[in-house]
Amino acid sequence: MKNWSKLTTALVVAAVTGAPAWAADDDRIVVGFATAESGFMQAYDKPAQDAAMIRIGEINAAGGLLGKQIEVVNADTKTDRAEGAKAGLSVIDAGADLVVVSCDYDFGSPAALTAESSGLVSFFLCAESIKAGIQGVGPHSFSASVLAAVQGATMAQWSYEKKEARSYYRLLDTWTEYNKGICDGFDWMLPQLADATLVGEDTFKNEDASIAAQITRIKSLPEEPDAIMLCTMMPGAVSAIKQIRAAGINSMILNGSAVDGSYWLSAVPDLSNFYVPVQGSIYGDDPNGDVTAFNAKYVEATGGDPSTQYVYPGYVLIDVWAKAVERAGTTDADAVVAELEKMVDEPTLFGPRTFNSEIHHQNKARYLIVETNAGTPAVVDEWTISEPIPVDALMK
Amino acid sequence: MSNRPSIARRTLATPLILSLLLIAFALVAVAAGSKPFNQTMIDIFLRVTLVVGLYVFVGNSGVISFGHIGFTCLGAYAAAWLTMPPMMKQTLLPGLPEWLIAVQLPYWAAAVLAALWAALWAAVFGKILMRLSGIAASIATFAMLAMINTVYSNWENVTGATSSVVGIPIVRTIWPYLIVAIVAVFIAWGHAISRAGLKLRAARDEPTAASASGIDLPRERLIAFVVSGGVMGLGGALFSHSIGVVTPDTFYLGLTFTTLSMLVVGGMGSLSGAVIGVLVLSTLIQVLRWLEAGVSIGTSTLALPNGVQEIALGIVMIVILAFRPSGLMGNTELNWRRAKTADPGASGQPE
Repeated sequence: MKNWSKLTTALVVAAVTGAPAWAADDDRIVVGFATAESGFMQAYDKPAQDAAMIRIGEINAAGGLLGKQIEVVNADTKTDRAEGAKAGLSVIDAGADLVVVSCDYDFGSPAALTAESSGLVSFFLCAESIKAGIQGVGPHSFSASVLAAVQGATMAQWSYEKKEARSYYRLLDTWTEYNKGICDGFDWMLPQLADATLVGEDTFKNEDASIAAQITRIKSLPEEPDAIMLCTMMPGAVSAIKQIRAAGINSMILNGSAVDGSYWLSAVPDLSNFYVPVQGSIYGDDPNGDVTAFNAKYVEATGGDPSTQYVYPGYVLIDVWAKAVERAGTTDADAVVAELEKMVDEPTLFGPRTFNSEIHHQNKARYLIVETNAGTPAVVDEWTISEPIPVDALMK
Repeated sequence: MSNRPSIARRTLATPLILSLLLIAFALVAVAAGSKPFNQTMIDIFLRVTLVVGLYVFVGNSGVISFGHIGFTCLGAYAAAWLTMPPMMKQTLLPGLPEWLIAVQLPYWAAAVLAALWAALWAAVFGKILMRLSGIAASIATFAMLAMINTVYSNWENVTGATSSVVGIPIVRTIWPYLIVAIVAVFIAWGHAISRAGLKLRAARDEPTAASASGIDLPRERLIAFVVSGGVMGLGGALFSHSIGVVTPDTFYLGLTFTTLSMLVVGGMGSLSGAVIGVLVLSTLIQVLRWLEAGVSIGTSTLALPNGVQEIALGIVMIVILAFRPSGLMGNTELNWRRAKTADPGASGQPE
């Protein structure tokens, strides 16, 4: 008995001192980040969140939103789904008008669902699955990034048009939805390219130490394919790329954005003929000078260069949300969603953005193409797929 | 029969005290009125359900099971199949049978069916596994967990494989979780004082003497396994409604070790230990999280560095086990009088 009276006392004390203020004050504009401040997702969430904070800082410096300063509240999801739901509820209790959730759909959805059930707008920091939006959360949910399928489709069409690739090999790492998404986009685009052929396809798993069997099958083709569509991500991507090149296969390798960044290039010295689609360049050569200026700001704010393009969606999300709030003249969720859904090719620092009542994600987007040549990545081109990927193809 | 009061009457105090304790926690949550705190309390009640479910088998049989979270997984997915809107099932889980796609039940009915589903599988697995004893049985339960996890992580059109299954109605009121936790406590108590429970505990303490007295050990273990499987399934069903998302990796090693360590800290051989282990450790986790987030005292904010919570929790668990190797409660149960009874009914003989 003594035990539990002590317990109850401890709990009451904790509740009184620790519980956040839950009265939402209508005079404030609050952005709530229910993101990972610890655990492995922190590596993805933190950079994008830093970029979001830069945009919030810019808006506040320019006089705020609807004449009010944007306030920020945070809650840590600890890279845990159950904690994610709590983090969502915490920021909502603290008066959030916009709930920003973890980059990944699986880890962001519990918090996004709490926002949805409270009738608030939620934004995934950089999720690239169709589910991160209407299809997997509800009508008030959005993602700031571009669908993985668009990356696969972009690389297929660009390599066909600009590099005259005709024979393709498809190598899928079945580990994540993201990987499958890239290959789905590639599969959708390929039949539309006259006389482009798929000469073979294969799968592997991210954790596979060796993909020798898959490489043997590529080597035993009568002719080396023009391009290999590699649908994979870190950490397995490095080993796969290294093994393909070590086996003497020199076909161009096409990828999704997840392998952007130069941090891993030393593992595959002198890598060439390697192409990645990115929303903005971290290499200081973006055709838009404002991106380079943003990179400088990012260095100032965080003390380091952006390590991959996944920093950028954080900036975009605050940008488009703030514009929608400005146009709606309120932070009311339905009004803001209506304004967001009116956006067609809305210009942002990292390419135009479109939302409509069917899809709260980008099923068509401008991508910069980064080529890695002799171990040095640089922007060589930009490409927008000729038509948006239909929702049916995305949902399969 | 002697003129002593029946075993049920002598031990009824234990589940009643534990229920009052849980109700007290629920009232604190209601009084606090904060949504995240409410959710925290829901988590605590879920863990109480799971750890009590685990206790039914582990506590009474003395065999440590690493596989029970598998039944939680079965229960959670069954609840998802039964409560999601048919439209979403059609697109996300097209491999389900037609009638299951068409059905959409209220969450409480689905939870009962989910518990039965988990119990059914516990019976199937248990029929084979319960012939084993000691470490071999533990390892076999672990293999069962791995099997369930592998099936659920790969059966794309029925479980959605590793993708999150969404569309499960979210239940945010605290009462269903409280009721389920209390029901679990009463089921555990009912089993412990039943013939099967008493025989099983006798066999746990003296296997040779028990089998010499005609106790069919595999059978008694199987009964406990099925009952605990059902409770774990019920917990799983409620778990899926607490956040509205299920994935197979939620129900794997992390949750297995969390629930086992709560049971060990509380006291493996005691129902009160199972409940108190959860309440003590969960309270501790929560207090440390608040300290990590920062608590304002006057004008200054006191905050611990991130990650301290996990470290402090580990240290506290080591200290508890160093001073009380058999857990906080040992083998004793809470009772109105000074605790002197061992397990509920341990002193009573079945006729």
